[in-house]
Amino acid sequence: MSQPDPADLQAATAVGDAQEHGQGDLSEQIGRLVRDRPYGVLCTQSQSQPYGSLVALGSTDDLTAFVFATPTATRKYRLLSECDHVALVIDSRSGTPSELMDVEAVTVTGRARQIPSGPDFDRWAELLLRRHPHLASFVRAESSALFRIDVIRYFHVCRFQEVRQWVPSPTT
Amino acid sequence: MGAQPNYVIPLSEVSDRHEPLIGAKAARLAALARAGHATAPGFCLTTPAYEQLLAQSRLEDRIRMELGRKPFDDMRWEEVWDAALRIRSAFVAQPVPSEVADAVATALAEYPADTAWAVRSSAPGEDSTSRSFAGLHESYIGVVGFGAVVDAVRLVWASLWSDAAMLYRKELGLDPGRSRMAVLVQTMRTEDVSGVAFGRDPRKPAAENAIVEAVPGLCAGLVDGQVDPDRWELRRSDGATVAWHPGHRDEQGATSPLLDEHDLSHLLRVLTDVESLFAWAPDVEWTGRRDRLTLLQARPITTAAADSEDKRGWYLTLRPGTARLRKLRERVADELIPALEAEGERLAAEDLAACSDEELADAIDERAAAVERWTKIYWEEFIPFAHGVRHLAVYYNDAVRPADPYEFVGLLQGEELLAMRRNSALRSLAEQIKPNVPLCEAIDEACSSASHEAAAWQPDAIDAIRAVEGGEAFLTAFQHAVDNVLDLAYGKTRLADRPDLILRGVLELARSQNTGAVSHTGPGPHTAEALAQRLLAAVGPDRREEALETLQLGRLSWRLRDNDNLLLARVQSQLIRALNVAAERLRAGGRLAPVVRLEAEDVAKIAAALRDSLGAKVVLEQKASPKQAPKRTSPGETPRQLIGQPAAPGVQAGEVRCIRSSEDLGRFRAGQVLVCDAIQPMMTHLVPLAAAIVERRGGMLIHGAIIARELGIPCVNGIAGAVDLLNDGDLVTVDGYLGIVTVGPPEFDLELGERALVG
Repeated sequence: MSQPDPADLQAATAVGDAQEHGQGDLSEQIGRLVRDRPYGVLCTQSQSQPYGSLVALGSTDDLTAFVFATPTATRKYRLLSECDHVALVIDSRSGTPSELMDVEAVTVTGRARQIPSGPDFDRWAELLLRRHPHLASFVRAESSALFRIDVIRYFHVCRFQEVRQWVPSPTT
Repeated sequence: MGAQPNYVIPLSEVSDRHEPLIGAKAARLAALARAGHATAPGFCLTTPAYEQLLAQSRLEDRIRMELGRKPFDDMRWEEVWDAALRIRSAFVAQPVPSEVADAVATALAEYPADTAWAVRSSAPGEDSTSRSFAGLHESYIGVVGFGAVVDAVRLVWASLWSDAAMLYRKELGLDPGRSRMAVLVQTMRTEDVSGVAFGRDPRKPAAENAIVEAVPGLCAGLVDGQVDPDRWELRRSDGATVAWHPGHRDEQGATSPLLDEHDLSHLLRVLTDVESLFAWAPDVEWTGRRDRLTLLQARPITTAAADSEDKRGWYLTLRPGTARLRKLRERVADELIPALEAEGERLAAEDLAACSDEELADAIDERAAAVERWTKIYWEEFIPFAHGVRHLAVYYNDAVRPADPYEFVGLLQGEELLAMRRNSALRSLAEQIKPNVPLCEAIDEACSSASHEAAAWQPDAIDAIRAVEGGEAFLTAFQHAVDNVLDLAYGKTRLADRPDLILRGVLELARSQNTGAVSHTGPGPHTAEALAQRLLAAVGPDRREEALETLQLGRLSWRLRDNDNLLLARVQSQLIRALNVAAERLRAGGRLAPVVRLEAEDVAKIAAALRDSLGAKVVLEQKASPKQAPKRTSPGETPRQLIGQPAAPGVQAGEVRCIRSSEDLGRFRAGQVLVCDAIQPMMTHLVPLAAAIVERRGGMLIHGAIIARELGIPCVNGIAGAVDLLNDGDLVTVDGYLGIVTVGPPEFDLELGERALVG
């Protein structure tokens, strides 16, 4: 008694049953991108003026936080001290126009805070240096500051326009 | 000056090393000519010519955009067809690179200006002993003049990206990004007979027989299956005829064989020579007889030809030619649709209540058999005829070359569809109740009192409607509409049994007419007549009749494609009606539980129970009705922008209402965004109420897309899992220009709210 699917030839074609999502699990996809890309653009702001800086990144396994270092004499350090609302953009571009449909990107929103020296500092520095060992002296320099970003939300873009949001939860 | 790639190679200069540039088809023909076989002279346009077009036009980026919108596996055939149509239009719109055009002009200059050419695909790597692209890429015959040859070349290049070729390549695991197309341009020979010949019988390779098939005139009719050939089985060892089957053709003299003994033995000799030359049993296309025999093509017999797993044959049915459509029209329009309509009417007229139990059981069996029979016909004949509208699309685009490859859809406007008749009946009902507030309230009350457990209205609710002024007249008009245009099954529900579901829609229509809650822009600027004139002007007087027939076939195919769903749903509705009468009777006798939803597999049990003179109780297995819960692939994941096809232009925002079952039909409110698996013909009355439409099923020519375009309602379709990802009440913005559905406002609630302060 079931109704034949009007105008639907799917059953008769070799095109497979539509998967719910061709892209698979979003958290895994984001994890893969974050692991593959060691850098991201940090977006800061103050007095209605946005600003962008390329930074070397480390991240926690559960994707709830990122870590980066910056000299304290920089514009971004000053902006961070004035406003801790930040965004990060990480993407998979290689730079050719023909890859448009293959590029993936995440915009991460979160709050940044400086990590004071102590055991916490060592733990977060280790997270950054695991990916960027050549930055060891930079991270530990007197004039550098280490920041963590606690992630609030991810916006994942693929196929040029497809956008999904993900709010990560810390793993215990 | 740097070395220019070889865009053109005359067939007479081809050597084996050229095969990667010209494809096996062209390389083999050249090899046959070198071995002394007669072949038609001509030249090859090499793959560098195709690559030059890609490089100059950046068509490759365009193709990536088209095919990258969603995973290929998620694309339904209709979506692949749409992508192929847009890619084809992009190819047609591109000028052929001047250096390639110059090379073609130089090659053509070697022949008289009025030479008729065959322009054929020869994609490197396309044919082997295990696969064949025969028929999946395009070929054009009878092409005369430089402009026409260049046009045909472009279309052959584009056919690398036809729906059938893409699907077949995917099935074979070939990477479409690496595919290239060469083109074979050969002079045409007009002979009295043509055909195909197989060195061995592809279906019985061990039988040591060769097969020859012949048709009068050109080979094209045989290759696309339109002309029934004479067919011989010849013993390979001595050429003796093992079997001869005359072709069934209408022309005079069809009963006498097209080939005589000498023709056949000559062909068998050629087959043997070709087999020795290539070291494989050949499948040869030929024209002419004996000393005028010309070989048009030779390829290995594909073992796949006898393999039922190979889908090439099925893909070929996706593109029926005019002759096949003509035959289908006769069968579908003249015989099947009237028969289906008559069957529905006859079944609806039967007084089932007056039947004995035995007669009722017979009625159920008859209806179940009718549903099964018509469902089979639906797939085997109605759906193939539906390709008539696609045939029209390609014909229109080739002739008119419009900037919008979907301009042809305007040709379908104003067709008298059953669904439109039904919508207009509902609109009249809405107009009838619109000024009558007490009647609207009484109907609203009656709808609220109805439940899906009840087979019909609560009697006091009907009395309440009747008591209101105008109520009696409304009920009569409503019953008339139910009998004439609403006797339909929607899934397992018979709409005639659930007037509340329909009347909710009528109330909403009345309300929206009152408040102007939804106003749509209506169809675009082109009228059907203006587009038809455009087509006729483009094809010119010589092809006027052909164009008119294509137009008529396309429009008829579109109209019947819509109507057949409703007519089939009526027969299904009559099966449900008989089951309901039976269930009522069994319940009254205490043999069936009071509330039970009947399933397809219960039909036999119900009929058997009616015939059971001992009156045993009927036990039906009750299945829980599947309630789909929204799915999210990761915890914490929500969609923000969903990408589908831009199926009807416009941008509208609204609240989501998902239609998952018949119950949801009555919940839809004017101004909401209609989200569903697909707009079915029995729910089109909701479309004029919708702010926008979102569908899982994709395609520019599916029902919802066409109706949305006709009404000027934005529509995005082809969103996998649309009804799972979106929830009732979600605020969405539907962008029918870009094919984007944006979920929720662009807020920063989380960033600026409590959660953000935790850190």
